[in-house]
Amino acid sequence: MRAPGSAIPEVAGVRGRHGGSGRGAVLRHGAAFGVVLWSLWAASVALAAGGQSRTFVVSFFAQQFTNYPGDCPGGVNPEDERGQIAFALRTMGYSGAEVRCLMVGWDQGGEGERKVNEILERRAVINGEPVNPMTHPEAVPDPQLKFVNAKQSVGFDLDGKQSADDFVDMITGKPGIDNQLFRSLGCNQNFRGSWTSPSAYGEWVWVQLRDSQPAWLMMITDAPSGKAGEVIVRIQRSFDHLRSNMDGSPRWHATYRADPDPRSFNEYRGYLRDGELTIPRQPRFSVLWNGLSAPVLNLSQFQLRLQQDSRGQWDGLIGGFQPWRELYFAFSHNGIVGDRPGLWHAMKKAADADPEPATGQNLAISVAYRFTAIPAFITPSGASVRTAMREGSKP
Amino acid sequence: MKKPARRVVVAGFAVGLIAVAAFFFWPESTPSSARVFQPPEVKASRLTPEQYRLAITDVFGAHIDLGGRLEPVMREAGLLVVGASSVSVTAAGMEQFDAMADAISEQVLMHDDNRRVFLSCAPAKSDQPDDRCASEFLAPVGERLFRRPLTEWELRSFVAAAAAATKALGDFHAGLSLSLSAMLTSPQFLFRIPVIEEDPDRSGGYRLDAYSRAARLSFFLWNTGPDAELLRAAREGELDSDRGFRRQVDRMMASPRLEEGVRAFFHDMLRFDTFETLSKDPALFPKFSRREMADAQEQTLRTLVYLLLDQQRDYRDAFTTKKTFLTPSLAAIYQVPLAHQGPNGGVESWEPFEFPAEDPRAGILSHASFTALHSPPGRTSPTDRGKALREVLMCQTVPAPPPDVQFTVVQNTEDPIHKTVRQRLIAHSTVPSCAGCHRIMDPMGLALENFDGAGEFRLVENGQPIDTAGDLDGMEFSNSLELAQVVRDNPAIPSCLVKRMTTYAFGQDFTQDQRVFLKQMRVRFRESGFKIPELMRTIVTSPEFFQAAPASDPVSVDALTAAVR
Amino acid sequence: MNKTRRGFLRGTFAGSAVAVSLPFLDCFLNESGTALAATGKSLPSVFGNWFQYLGLNPGRWVPDQTGSNYRNKVELAMFDPWKERINLISGGYYHLDGRPVETHKTGVQIATLGGIPTGRESGASLDSDIADVIGRQSRFQTLDVTGTGGRFGVSKRAGAAYKPVEASPAALYRRIFGADFTDPNAAEFVPSTRALAKASVLSQVSDQRRAVLKTVGASDRARLDEYFTSLRQLEKQLAMQLEPPEPLPACAPPPNIGEEAEPGGEVTAVERNIDLFTSLLIHAVTCGQTRVFNVTMNTQGCRKAGSTQNWHGYTHEEPIDDALGYQPETTWFIMWANQLFTNFLRKLETTPEGAGSVLDRMLLLWQTDHGYARTHTMDNVTTMTVGNAGGLFRTGRHIALAGDPVTRVGLTVQQGFGVRTGAWGSQSNRATRPITDMLI
Repeated sequence: MRAPGSAIPEVAGVRGRHGGSGRGAVLRHGAAFGVVLWSLWAASVALAAGGQSRTFVVSFFAQQFTNYPGDCPGGVNPEDERGQIAFALRTMGYSGAEVRCLMVGWDQGGEGERKVNEILERRAVINGEPVNPMTHPEAVPDPQLKFVNAKQSVGFDLDGKQSADDFVDMITGKPGIDNQLFRSLGCNQNFRGSWTSPSAYGEWVWVQLRDSQPAWLMMITDAPSGKAGEVIVRIQRSFDHLRSNMDGSPRWHATYRADPDPRSFNEYRGYLRDGELTIPRQPRFSVLWNGLSAPVLNLSQFQLRLQQDSRGQWDGLIGGFQPWRELYFAFSHNGIVGDRPGLWHAMKKAADADPEPATGQNLAISVAYRFTAIPAFITPSGASVRTAMREGSKP
Repeated sequence: MKKPARRVVVAGFAVGLIAVAAFFFWPESTPSSARVFQPPEVKASRLTPEQYRLAITDVFGAHIDLGGRLEPVMREAGLLVVGASSVSVTAAGMEQFDAMADAISEQVLMHDDNRRVFLSCAPAKSDQPDDRCASEFLAPVGERLFRRPLTEWELRSFVAAAAAATKALGDFHAGLSLSLSAMLTSPQFLFRIPVIEEDPDRSGGYRLDAYSRAARLSFFLWNTGPDAELLRAAREGELDSDRGFRRQVDRMMASPRLEEGVRAFFHDMLRFDTFETLSKDPALFPKFSRREMADAQEQTLRTLVYLLLDQQRDYRDAFTTKKTFLTPSLAAIYQVPLAHQGPNGGVESWEPFEFPAEDPRAGILSHASFTALHSPPGRTSPTDRGKALREVLMCQTVPAPPPDVQFTVVQNTEDPIHKTVRQRLIAHSTVPSCAGCHRIMDPMGLALENFDGAGEFRLVENGQPIDTAGDLDGMEFSNSLELAQVVRDNPAIPSCLVKRMTTYAFGQDFTQDQRVFLKQMRVRFRESGFKIPELMRTIVTSPEFFQAAPASDPVSVDALTAAVR
Repeated sequence: MNKTRRGFLRGTFAGSAVAVSLPFLDCFLNESGTALAATGKSLPSVFGNWFQYLGLNPGRWVPDQTGSNYRNKVELAMFDPWKERINLISGGYYHLDGRPVETHKTGVQIATLGGIPTGRESGASLDSDIADVIGRQSRFQTLDVTGTGGRFGVSKRAGAAYKPVEASPAALYRRIFGADFTDPNAAEFVPSTRALAKASVLSQVSDQRRAVLKTVGASDRARLDEYFTSLRQLEKQLAMQLEPPEPLPACAPPPNIGEEAEPGGEVTAVERNIDLFTSLLIHAVTCGQTRVFNVTMNTQGCRKAGSTQNWHGYTHEEPIDDALGYQPETTWFIMWANQLFTNFLRKLETTPEGAGSVLDRMLLLWQTDHGYARTHTMDNVTTMTVGNAGGLFRTGRHIALAGDPVTRVGLTVQQGFGVRTGAWGSQSNRATRPITDMLI
């Protein structure tokens, strides 16, 4: 952000000399002063000139849903603990009146609550024995959570086909958008969000981990082909977490050490035109992720589309087919997501890629993630890598 | 007598008369060594907040928590240290000093670990007074705190106080701690009260006594009271001999604690205390928060210590040096790459950093500690920065705005809500009653317009390159790098440093009476190659450093007590 | 005082200063209903100083009528609910006697010190003079706060530096209501043995400390004298911890303020700080902790979040709107600051004490640094008093000074509070006649 102002006029008609750096001594520095790499210094000057940075750090990342009021006819799936418990009791076959009575007892706590919990323990049963329904969702009969009934969404056409399940892109107007995660989870309150307001779940995960999880970096360089608009885009991890200002906003122009680990190294040809960066369909994308989301973010049929604003910040989406069971892994030990066995069954039904040969069950689900990135410096890690790895910088 | 002989005698007499008159009435014609230095009248000065803190940590250790807020000191003659000789202790300040004294003495004597360190004796009975043990503790601690041995009366009263408190509380250590607390709120601790004696080297002249000399030396070089070794030297008369005194000077200047003194000096001269009340709009400058304010000061102080103390370089190089020290979070403000060292999430460390030769950033004027400190919360102000350069670094006073300042130019603008720096400064430079002063401030500030209100560097503003040309006292510059060179070459820069450092060392502003001495110091500074340690040594070893004028109008305590409500 | 009755009061107040629900027990009052029967003393008068920089807009506040039946113009219309208690003084002058105006400083000096100091030393501010008369028995002789950050205020003792101001409500809370606070309504008073011990320590070292005065010169003696005055205040506070305090039914310590304040003048921060400070001051007054306080509204740094310009900048750089006839942003700030002051008045008026409210025994003096900030004028300066300090003043008037020095107001206020002085101020700012309309 820059304070307003403009070019400064001559003062009282005095004009200065041009050029020359005066007699400032070029210091014969000792070993203590390492001179910064020329390219990085040039980058820093370019930064000061405004918006020319080619290196960035991801400053926000979360599933992108685009809900609007009424897109879940009959209301959203039960959101709070009480609602979910009542819902679970219903799915177990208790009538409305019985559920109401049981919930009165639950409200009062003590004996009433114990009775309800006793019932819920048998929500998932294998060979007559009760099991944890969250970790054994297959043992829970499908609670039939509601799906989103919207026609529009954001995301990508991942399979190149138009089908009944597809959305129309809210931004570009194009049909054939694949975002089955949105469809299957979009009626759960904590996943609901909009372009300007992230979902409670997405925001929560981000804020929990941004000051500790290794940041993701993006570097854009001109393609060797030399063709105008063609670029090489590299997305990889850093050793360092995202730097933030005291008020929590992401800190621009911080420096990150690049992690060369091939498990998080992705390089593609992309196209940069009029401030828009696109990467067309790529077979795979992979970065190590975190314990609240999934250990690895794996996307097949990966695509990217970002817009750059006047200050240099990128904002847009990446998308692909993601293994839904890996997502469930994170959901399963998190109470804020909603009825967890219900989410399992929802994703299972909505999954739209990567069929398992034996059963035909799709193992991957189409998804779009919001991706913003701000200018940053990236340094090769060198000796500090060994130090960092020795001292343990895993997420 | 023959006529020619009489003429010779008359001529000879006339010549003699003229010579005698010249000797007495034309001081400029006499050699400088015969010129008389009129020492300033010594004044008591209150400990500044940093001196208080250092005094406590020196005597009791750095782990002691002060537990209160220190009353600020006003700035006078450009320095807080001088203002300290004009302030006292207000009622609110006394409450705080009392609260801190209680907190400190409780930690020292009521926590077992600390008590073992400081108290080597044990009372005969733990719930009864024990004057011998109390005395064994209070005498040496008192000497360190009061910066001289306690008088018999003082020691007796503090021992009696400990006894009285012990009786009231039924606990020897609690009683002793209240007596220590009283020591910490005594004027002999809170005020540096110089004592003078007759100067054996100047008949009719006075000088500071040995302990006062030790204190003045120690506060200048180390920003704290004399340590045990220096007190010993004072006690044993070593400071009275040239050799003994120089031995202590050498010891103190070779000590790593000299850095503390240099830091304290620049912290005062560069007005870093005003960071306390500095605020930046977080919406406009999200990068610049309390942490960065602290880092900005540290950056400049580290740079100066490295350049002037470690490397013993020319002071003027502080304005052109490309070398500095940064943390990664500070580097983000300067928009230069500096990676974190060590594992993810560890504490940030300070790294040396050097701007390349072509980079327009050089010297302390390009540091955030200058550019951000002298900017309002929401924007830059070339006038503020130009004024700061004049007043802080060149010791020049900019007159106050005229009472009848007209703002008719303001009235005529079309859209003044969005008034730009450009339009405002047109008024400053064209309206006659404004231009006189603004011409000596704005041009330098304009050269620094590359640095926004939080010290962040920019080459363009709203798409247009920033024009940074101007002049300083007739020397032209076209960008901040050239400004740095022009500032470096301006004679007011080293001259001001000498004035500040000398008045800092003496703790008082200088008048015309000391003008010649100041000039001598400037000459020696130049001859030494503008080296700071040399200047410090020159000041403390000058014969004038400890000369004093006696207090005017001494009066008896009784008469004073009667006059006071 | 019957201990059970004290306990009853304490129990019912339950931590809230506004104890409206408790019916006031008649037996506490004397016949006139304004005193506490136990002590026979009336509730002591209180002086409050509100110094607000940058003034008002000429033409928008001076009423057309003088005397009792005046009508407020737009910038002071919000003061109407308190009109009966207010004296509005217009036409006052800050005389320069040929000295240059130090903008935003000379006006302050004349308003608070009575004149422009020559040299480094200067006299006491008028609140100090009043505190010397009415504040001798208080735990805090004065309390000095600022809503807008900064370190020094407008209050000072003679020959001394300006007193530092409290910028943090949390710190002020700790200072007044922290460990050393003695609840006047506590069921049982237990004299603090620690205070006893400290008092005995002080008596042992006092003489030896005073001997220091013998060893210094004249100017140092004056400053050490201030040290000893401050020490006496501390000793007084200790002595108060050793005696049972007078019960004060309207007193109830406020809830703890947790967070620290941010320095600086962003408007929501200022509002919060002023809100907390005024509440704390009211508690401090009703609990007998002080009788004199100063609130500084150093409005020069005040700005809205995200704005590059502050109030002071607007006064000089904003043009006068052709349609409105005044500077819109500047005037927004004026009205905003006036609002903060009237919020304070409202709080004072709705804090019950005695037969009425705590405002009844107060006089607040509202002062500013310039007549018109835009051009730094020193004429037609706004001054206002609110309240009659328990019947020491007459109120409800618009008084036009017609070029007289504003120090006449300061003189009047001091005389009303019992400061023995026939004149106040220096040179052309020397006031020798009080405003008799204001005095009983």
